[in-house]
Amino acid sequence: MRTARGEHPSRRDRWSVRDAESRWLTLYVAARLAATAFAAALVTWGGLGPGDLLLLLYGPLSTAILVAFPAVRARPAAWALDSAIALACVLAYGDWRSPFYLLWLTTLALPAIAVAPRRGLWLGLGASLAFLVVAIIGGPAWGSLQVSSAETLAIHLSLPLLLVPSLAYATDALRRLDRERSERERLAIEAERQRIAWELHDSAKQRLHAAHLLVSSLHGRVADDVARSVDRAAVELESAASEMDTSLAELRSPLEGRPLDEALRSRADELAPDGRPAIAIRGRAPALSPLVAAHVYRIASEAITNALRHADATTIDVAIEAVDGHLRLHVHDDGRGLPPTRRPGASGLFAMESRAATIGGSLVVSPREGGTGTTIALDVPLNDHGGTA
Amino acid sequence: MIRVAVVDDHPALRAGLQTVLDAEPHIVFVGESDGAEENIWPMLTRVRPDVVLLDYHLPRGDGLQLCYRIKKDVPAPRVIIFTAYASPAMALPATLARADGVLAKGAGARDLFSAIRLVYAGEQLLPPISATVLEEATADLYGDDPALIGMLLDGAGEADVAQTLRIPVKDVRHSVQRILSALRIDVPAARAE
Repeated sequence: MRTARGEHPSRRDRWSVRDAESRWLTLYVAARLAATAFAAALVTWGGLGPGDLLLLLYGPLSTAILVAFPAVRARPAAWALDSAIALACVLAYGDWRSPFYLLWLTTLALPAIAVAPRRGLWLGLGASLAFLVVAIIGGPAWGSLQVSSAETLAIHLSLPLLLVPSLAYATDALRRLDRERSERERLAIEAERQRIAWELHDSAKQRLHAAHLLVSSLHGRVADDVARSVDRAAVELESAASEMDTSLAELRSPLEGRPLDEALRSRADELAPDGRPAIAIRGRAPALSPLVAAHVYRIASEAITNALRHADATTIDVAIEAVDGHLRLHVHDDGRGLPPTRRPGASGLFAMESRAATIGGSLVVSPREGGTGTTIALDVPLNDHGGTA
Repeated sequence: MIRVAVVDDHPALRAGLQTVLDAEPHIVFVGESDGAEENIWPMLTRVRPDVVLLDYHLPRGDGLQLCYRIKKDVPAPRVIIFTAYASPAMALPATLARADGVLAKGAGARDLFSAIRLVYAGEQLLPPISATVLEEATADLYGDDPALIGMLLDGAGEADVAQTLRIPVKDVRHSVQRILSALRIDVPAARAE
């Protein structure tokens, strides 16, 4: 229930971003196809030449490629090529008042939404100039503009100049808005967690301590028939207080919104500021739900602390990887290894195991292969959302 | 009879402690305060307790600063720092604040009674100051502070320390108070204010 608070808004956010992306792609495809249809209508009206069919094919073909391969869609080289070919279509048609002008305009949208507003202005200017050059060398007569109407040329030249910067600006504004909103949500959640944590600590936990004191003071003062119940109640109250400590620690969200590997790196820097022992954190953490991330973080930092405190390790190696929907964390150290029997009251390993169990994972502690030291292996199954089922 | 006063901001804990302490033979609950300046000093002067159970995290102020000031009283009561977050790092500031003991709030009633009795008998129930704790603490300090801490931990009186460092006794006291606030251990869940 704790995590649900921290999880839902961010998940909803992610979905909405994904939705917005797919909506934008649909709109973009529709614009390209509409531009092509417009070109086809105009070309047909003006009398279909044999080369024109080839030119008209470019619109649907390029659109299909852009939709099918998101990797191509993300490459600036592809944008430049796309735009250049569309401009070539304008040129090939032999008149700058070309039916392919609109298609060319749509090719500018992909770079426009990717660049910063200021660059968008330069991009628009560049596109405008490029079209001017095409208009001069393209035709109807090579080398002269053949301006039948100055307004038409002005419109043709000013459209990219207006559209590209405004698209760039709008995208940037939306992006900023989105970022600010999620930041604000994160802060609000953080404040709420702090408030709950403080309330738990300030009030509920103090009452638990008081109840524990009261019950434990009955020890040895009550008749045998109730003594066991009283002792049991004292134990329960004590566990409740220590469980509340755990919850409080989780509410404090040790990762503070950072990815797991980054949080572990800064923890390693805290534990060994002078690089002795050498603590290496390798690998990148996948997106994790706050609860899973917090538990994995605490397991890893407990393992590091153990290696430092009890094993006198000189190098500690932490590897994080996501394989087949599982998060795997390995902590190797070259310390003196585990004692043959568990120390009584060694709660560290037990706490790590129960943390692993809480998130549906398993923890294996074993001597390191081929050498001294210990390996701690954690395996947590993840579902689509990086949480556990 | 051991006369015990309780300084804690939470009424439930004070009430619980009163019941528990009153039920124990030879220990009597004599007064309570929520840690606010306007009621703690009148209470202490009125009831003159033998032992003060003092909360570490008081909403207004710092338990250890309060402890240091209580211990300046002559005759000073024994002070047990009663904390929800007993950590090894607390050993150093508690010693500097001249607390007689540190006890976790999660401890049972029997531990509490024996702590009160031992401290009353003059024993020190402070966790040992490990090298790590000392190293971490001195990293936060500067100037004469490490020397001052060393002397105080060795058992030198404030007057001796003042003489050695050639500063007034008042300055030694200020330094200790400053060190106490520098070494303050924050409540894990910081107050959302």
